[in-house]
Amino acid sequence: MQLKRSRPPATLISLVSMIDVLMIMLIFFMVTSTYLNLDMVPMAERAEDSAAAPGGPGASALLIRLAADGVPHVQGRAHSLTSLGSLIATRVQADPATPVIVLPSAAASTQSLVALMDTATRAGTTSLRIIRLEVRP
Amino acid sequence: MKLARRPRRESPETIVALIDVVFFLLVFFLLIGRMDATAPFQVTPPLAVTGSDLPGGGATVAVSATGGLALNGSPADRAKVLSGIASALTKTPALLIRVNAHRDAELRHLLPLVAEIEALGATDIVLVVTPGVP
Repeated sequence: MQLKRSRPPATLISLVSMIDVLMIMLIFFMVTSTYLNLDMVPMAERAEDSAAAPGGPGASALLIRLAADGVPHVQGRAHSLTSLGSLIATRVQADPATPVIVLPSAAASTQSLVALMDTATRAGTTSLRIIRLEVRP
Repeated sequence: MKLARRPRRESPETIVALIDVVFFLLVFFLLIGRMDATAPFQVTPPLAVTGSDLPGGGATVAVSATGGLALNGSPADRAKVLSGIASALTKTPALLIRVNAHRDAELRHLLPLVAEIEALGATDIVLVVTPGVP
């Protein structure tokens, strides 16, 4: 007679170690993460954008000089961002293809340039270019 | 004769709910977090209202308030930044270049650098900003 040995009950896999690993990973992500709300402003013109860029040779450009202290000047007159915005809006309403050209001082801050670009974009301009002067011997 | 009743075995508290919660939290942090190399110096991006959503990926060039540079979190000089971007552009020509400049950085540090990156063939260069009224 052959006696059948009863099968031992299957051992349960302990979940404790998995929970430990999950908990450590969770704490790691919570501690090391910094949540930043960031946006972007395009700095270079893409090929498809340049092809569709308005402001043909007929449109008269609006040149804005950004001084070192961050104050924008148009035709030698200093403007606040509010008055500059209304000036750009008036020009854009008269001719939507009006290109805005910004000549910033090398000593102006990044914030002042971004604020100017922001003002021009809000005023409705669709063509904004930044030019800079290079000193060459 | 009084028979003593065996004390009931206390059932262990189920930890399945805990595992579920921890797992959901983990997946949440994994999904919403974007691993990004931070700059080795303090960078406070400029404020802008008209910025659009910043896409992920690409190479990040950080510019400090005093003009210090870093590429993808590692400090580098201008030549190293440009060579790093040039080699990355050969692998991925449509590489997004994110310029993370401090809001007080003078434009003499920023604009020539952007022009040089553009001259390398980069077609997608963006300036990182923080949403807000300047």
